[in-house]
Amino acid sequence: MTTQTKPVERGFGGWVGFLVDSLVAIPGAYAHAFRRRPVRTVVLTVLVIFGLIYPVLNKEFFQPYNRLSNAFPLPFPEDAVVTFMMIFAIMAIGLNIVAGFAGLLDLGYVAFYAFGAYTAAFLASPHFGSVSIVLFSETIPGFPGIHLPFWMLVPIAMAVAAAFGALLGAPTLRLRGDYLAIVTLGFGEIVPVIFKNLASVTFDLGPIHLVNANLTGGNLGINPIDPPIFFGIRFGSSSGIAAVYLGMILLAGAIIIARNLERSRMGRAWMAIREDEIAAEMMGVNPVRTKLLAFALGASFAGVAGVFQASYQGLTTSDFFTFATSILVLIMIILGGIGNIWGVIVGAITLVFVDKTFLPYLGQRMAAINSDLPNPSQFNFLIFGVLLVIMMRFRPEGFIPSRQRAAELRHAPPGQAIGSAATMGDAAVAAENLADTIAASQEEEVLAEAAAVEEETAAADGTSETPPRGPEGQP
Amino acid sequence: MTGPAGVAGDLRTGRLADDQVLVRARQVTKRFGGLIAVNSVDFDIPRGSIVSLIGPNGAGKTTFFNMITGAYTPTAGEIVFDGHPLVTQSGKKIRSKKPFEVTALGIGRTFQNIRLFGTMSALDNVRVGLHVHLKSHWWDAVLRSPSMRAEEQQSIVRGMELLDLVGLTDRADVWARNLPYGDQRRLEIARALATNPKLLLLDEPTAGMNSSETAEMTSFIRSLRSSLGLTVLLIEHDMRVVMGISERVTVLDYGEVIAEGTPEEVRASPRVVEAYLGRGAADT
Repeated sequence: MTTQTKPVERGFGGWVGFLVDSLVAIPGAYAHAFRRRPVRTVVLTVLVIFGLIYPVLNKEFFQPYNRLSNAFPLPFPEDAVVTFMMIFAIMAIGLNIVAGFAGLLDLGYVAFYAFGAYTAAFLASPHFGSVSIVLFSETIPGFPGIHLPFWMLVPIAMAVAAAFGALLGAPTLRLRGDYLAIVTLGFGEIVPVIFKNLASVTFDLGPIHLVNANLTGGNLGINPIDPPIFFGIRFGSSSGIAAVYLGMILLAGAIIIARNLERSRMGRAWMAIREDEIAAEMMGVNPVRTKLLAFALGASFAGVAGVFQASYQGLTTSDFFTFATSILVLIMIILGGIGNIWGVIVGAITLVFVDKTFLPYLGQRMAAINSDLPNPSQFNFLIFGVLLVIMMRFRPEGFIPSRQRAAELRHAPPGQAIGSAATMGDAAVAAENLADTIAASQEEEVLAEAAAVEEETAAADGTSETPPRGPEGQP
Repeated sequence: MTGPAGVAGDLRTGRLADDQVLVRARQVTKRFGGLIAVNSVDFDIPRGSIVSLIGPNGAGKTTFFNMITGAYTPTAGEIVFDGHPLVTQSGKKIRSKKPFEVTALGIGRTFQNIRLFGTMSALDNVRVGLHVHLKSHWWDAVLRSPSMRAEEQQSIVRGMELLDLVGLTDRADVWARNLPYGDQRRLEIARALATNPKLLLLDEPTAGMNSSETAEMTSFIRSLRSSLGLTVLLIEHDMRVVMGISERVTVLDYGEVIAEGTPEEVRASPRVVEAYLGRGAADT
């Protein structure tokens, strides 16, 4: 009566069957979305396809156009910018797990990005020249330094970042709101400073003797870092669109993992903690474990972003990891729609575009008119601030809001708050009326959001649930 | 009102054998600074019974309740639930089991002022209650392993059964905060039942309800006890509610037990009348 889904097959058959079912379900899910919201589905399809082929279009048409047309160039993001869109989108998804799902405000998220980047810098560069460890790498054996391949760096960086995420989480478990934010802020400041200052370490303990050892390269950072190489193809900053597509693949992986976590026992526990921590604990959710897991798993996404950044650019320095970057990622998820994976991706892409393509472009155009005009790139955070204020005024739930966030910001106080009043006589009736009103207006948004997500969901992770909450819903 | 099979006769604290008692609290005391909220309370909950803890506002009912669920650690005393000590003492340090551990042992509760997860669907609220009984790890979730998907499916089926039990089947997709007040109360009970409790603690389940809703709720509680074999502890400050449903009533005033017995006995007790209505009323 409750579900029409068939029982899950166990063992190896279960894995294969799931993959096959998921792939088979994609056309059906797409057709369903198309029937329900045709315009939306078509627009989204076009956008996604455009995004996927953008690097090629850019190389073949847009950049040649800009080179030829000195009169009126257009702000087409270059490959490096698109790659950074992917890097920041991965970070936004990770921060969304901590801040969006579990409701833990993290102002020091950049620290985990730094851990990822330095993992790549330590394990795939000639930096530690006194040793030579070359594993599964295209680097010539015997070459100084440690050289691990990219596919090994990613899980290592995830583990390192997750471990430090848990380490940050542990002392902050009792903190909430402002206090938590301040501790994470401190952590985000400390980590880059440590990386900056470990340029000359003298250390003598047991078997370890270091004299003026340069661990992190200080201000200069570490370079060159090996680019990602698969099957002999390099995916570094000089490889153009190849690197963009590697970024897209990493982002797709991040989306799938985040979506799977969201729709799981742990995802529900995170949301329960966010909604009411005491009630969640009383219902059997272990708050310590749940919050630590949110910190650790959220941090691991930044670890991946960091590895990719360092490998892609071939260098990393502590200057990359400033408080401004933490804030930038936070603005991305707030603008995009905190709590919604698709929203935060849109937020990340938009902000990187504005920061790295649109403002420099605007600066060039303005300079062409009058060279005394200020360069808008210098005011990027001022502009983001204004953007944030405008968004908070007109669309506080973000570009693509999560259902929860939209309801909190758009509607009158919850029926629950009214219901808990001591004078329940009239209030019960009032609450009921209010609830009906809210339900009616929400249905619209829920459908809208579901349709938005559906098409991309099907494409991205091939879910077997035909309508987005199908088996959980009514028969 | 007769008790269920196996529980009969004198249900008062201290009169039952160990195996007939689900919760045994002895000399439980809770101090907040200089205030003694609960003072050396002995309290037994017989298996399969519906017992009530009543008292005027501020009598220490909820404090006592919170010590059973692990939200507060008692200053002194011991509480044993179904053979598991909930309060342990090592040296001078008293430690109480954490609320989620207590929940896993089999105590489910509702809240006086409803505390649902407002922006989660009714079904997901219940599925949070199932959390302790789900085994999949985060890596199962990442990979959507067959066992994780099977478990999720079962949790949906079980969640729908529980919603059916409280009559909210057609509200499964509605957010908890958008439900009418009475439905929210029912959903809280469904969520508590999802933890698969042996003991259900209800903190003023009829607060804010009119008399017909109250009657409906009390008969619902009674049917739960008989169909699920639950033991129920009710907290109320409205004496009329507990009279029709309880097999035993304990009255707390200023943190101490002032009366215990059948509803009729308690109602007749001069100390209870005094606590509720004042000394003058008791004298007349």
